Amino acid sequence: MSEIIPIFRALLRSKAGALMLLIQIAITTAIVSNAAFIINDRIQYLNTETGYPEKEIFSFSISSFGEISDLSVMLEQTEETIRNIPGVINASLVNAVPVSGSGSASTFGSQPSSERGEEIRAAYFTGDEHILNTLGLSVFDGRNFEKNEVVVGTDRNAVAQVAIVSKAFIDQKFPEGNGLGQTIYFGNDPLKIVGVVEEMVGPWLKDNQAQNVVIMPIARADKQQKFIVRAEADQRAAVMRQIDDILLAEHNKRVIMFKRGMDEAKDNYNASDILMLRMLVVLIVVLVLVTALGIFGMTLFNINKRTKQIGTRRALGARKSAIVKYFLTENSIICISGMLIGSVAAVFLGNSLMTRFSIPALDINYILTTAVFVLVISLVSVIFPAIRAANIAPSIATRSI
Amino acid sequence: MFTHYIDLAWRSLKRTPMVSILMVCAIAIGIGITMTSLSVYHMMSMDPIPSKSDQLFAVQLNTTDEGTDWWTEDNIALQLTYKDAMFLHNQESAFRKTASMKGMATVHMNNDELKPYLAATRVVGHQFFNMFELEFIYGGPWTIEQEQLAAPVIVIDEETSEKHFGRPNSVGEQIYLDDRSYQIVGVTKNWDIHTKYYDLNNGAFSGVESIFLPITLIEAQQLDNSGNTNGWKFEEIDSFESYLQSELVWLQFWVELPDQRTKKDYESFLFAYLEEQGKLDRFERKTPEYKLRDVNEWMEYNRVVSEDNKVLVGLSFLFLAVCLANILGLLLGKFLKRAPEVGVRRALGANKRQIFLQHIIEVSMLGLLGGALGIVVAQIGLWGVRTTNQEYNALASMDLSMLLAAPGIAILACILAGLYPAWLVCRTQPAIYLKTQ
Repeated sequence: MSEIIPIFRALLRSKAGALMLLIQIAITTAIVSNAAFIINDRIQYLNTETGYPEKEIFSFSISSFGEISDLSVMLEQTEETIRNIPGVINASLVNAVPVSGSGSASTFGSQPSSERGEEIRAAYFTGDEHILNTLGLSVFDGRNFEKNEVVVGTDRNAVAQVAIVSKAFIDQKFPEGNGLGQTIYFGNDPLKIVGVVEEMVGPWLKDNQAQNVVIMPIARADKQQKFIVRAEADQRAAVMRQIDDILLAEHNKRVIMFKRGMDEAKDNYNASDILMLRMLVVLIVVLVLVTALGIFGMTLFNINKRTKQIGTRRALGARKSAIVKYFLTENSIICISGMLIGSVAAVFLGNSLMTRFSIPALDINYILTTAVFVLVISLVSVIFPAIRAANIAPSIATRSI
Repeated sequence: MFTHYIDLAWRSLKRTPMVSILMVCAIAIGIGITMTSLSVYHMMSMDPIPSKSDQLFAVQLNTTDEGTDWWTEDNIALQLTYKDAMFLHNQESAFRKTASMKGMATVHMNNDELKPYLAATRVVGHQFFNMFELEFIYGGPWTIEQEQLAAPVIVIDEETSEKHFGRPNSVGEQIYLDDRSYQIVGVTKNWDIHTKYYDLNNGAFSGVESIFLPITLIEAQQLDNSGNTNGWKFEEIDSFESYLQSELVWLQFWVELPDQRTKKDYESFLFAYLEEQGKLDRFERKTPEYKLRDVNEWMEYNRVVSEDNKVLVGLSFLFLAVCLANILGLLLGKFLKRAPEVGVRRALGANKRQIFLQHIIEVSMLGLLGGALGIVVAQIGLWGVRTTNQEYNALASMDLSMLLAAPGIAILACILAGLYPAWLVCRTQPAIYLKTQ
């Protein structure tokens, strides 16, 4: 330890190089800790439990044109055709696809809307009695829809009598826990809650009330009708491949569009987050690499410059370990001061990101972890050149230039 | 002298290949990462119609009760109701204006030759094309008479024309949307804009439409809106007529106001209109509220450039700073090692300025090489961006200004990093080095 002071004095004699290294380490610490924090934030968001078996489900739209005698009957038939495809577990008409970023939401009140009472916002899905099974959900409390409760037809103003809701919704609406069997109002139309699903999300994962969902038993047929299908995970690709031909063979005045898996739809909705995640990972990996190379190069350069001095020290009796220790200590002085400055910078950077953008406050643990990590990286990148320096033969010192 | 310095610089780079390669790579990576995020940012924030972005205004009217919440920063809905939009659209005026809606239709030729497909349509007034500088290659927009009569006419782009008829000129032909036939009156060139600034509701980069219909067909043929529809109060809607008369907002409205005076006049016109509508008990609001935002303000207001992007640009410039500190350290070592040689040159009569210049030219050369390699790194980065999602296809590319900016930033950054080492080396005292030799 008594060596620190002479090493420090030696550093002061060539401060520019050391200063550059210090700046590098400081900025690296600041960037890496903030980037790692944002990365972790996004990973947590992207892994949010949706409640759906995303790899089993896919969706598509059928757009029908030409003369159709009864659209509703035709699409019911189509639904049956899909269910009969080998590998398909279930299928249902829907108004919107979960986690896809497009759908419908409404407020649901305790009184009819015309009386303007207290209301809670929720996304809503409509489908027939197969919709829960198709989405891979099960009723956690209460019961599923019965066939005779499903409203069928093409009337846009058809209203349902019952609803199945998410636990998040019922807990918010009826905090006392007596929600099952109660009535909520969709516009002016009463809906009796007959079932509760423990976990499901609406179309918008970024919504602060993403878990508020209401499902109504309406199988209303539309000229542009969305379908969801659940197949065995390993057979989904095969089903998706053949479904166009099967459905066009059934009826040719239609267009099948927007066919995609639920996982794909979710990735599409989250594209900007996935991009941010990737860019940041690349950024910090390359950054750490560049910094490590910088330390490596600086030490190599210092050793070349001091070959004679190292030789002299060795000739005067210094052990190899003393030489290695010298470089390790020198590097640690620079590195630790860089880390200290970098940690302060990280806090400032985190603060300015938080105030200017919607990024949560930086967790101090990230700075600590990053600091330790940077220290380890710097020691690793200094140790090899240092060992090389230690191997300089004392005889070098005795030779003239 | 200049070419001699370049020659010297090149020799110097070759003399220490490892360090040179290390430095060029450090610049290349720094520039590559910075240019990747900067290019995406540049494409997102670019003025889509520079010639008149300050003359095109998106109109917002606040027709909600006081205390109604929207998610916009000033609490005004992004779109208009049908009755307001059509009132503004039909107003007599010398300047151009248009209401606009996104539709969706099955497009086919009523035969078996072409597989029917679903396409997004843009339902607008006849002045839309002129306002947004969408040029025609054949025919032209429908006439105002055709628009008023709600004639089944249509404008398509070149690609659609090729797809249906195998030739670019299809004016006068018929095309089917859902179950109706429409007569083609004009073919536009393929619209090459990557930000869909005229309707930012369903993704700013989701691609422009290639089929255009007169706005009056909404009522005449009961066209459905396939964009966003938002409501703020409960209304009994049981027919298409009551849907059109409702307080739901689902249309965009744009106006082209060529000068300040026209803008002032239009603002007082909107104020008077809202005051009058307020008296009809449509909404409870003390003072009428409206907004006119030009194209760039509108993009800013709709947050076209995401926060993530700004964060990334900031972080990549910090990253570039790390690379520079790295280079600065290496340059210091390299230049100082050369002090004896510089001493000799100084003794032979080179002045400080010349030594300084020589070294600055050397670092500029490093910057140029690093910048060129940085473009390659940036292309790899942009390819990575494109594989994330197809929405980024048009955005993740470098235009000419970015291609030029890359070596520019690289050289500038290198000169910045080289200033101090070059200054140190040009202060060399010849005597010291001549003595030891």
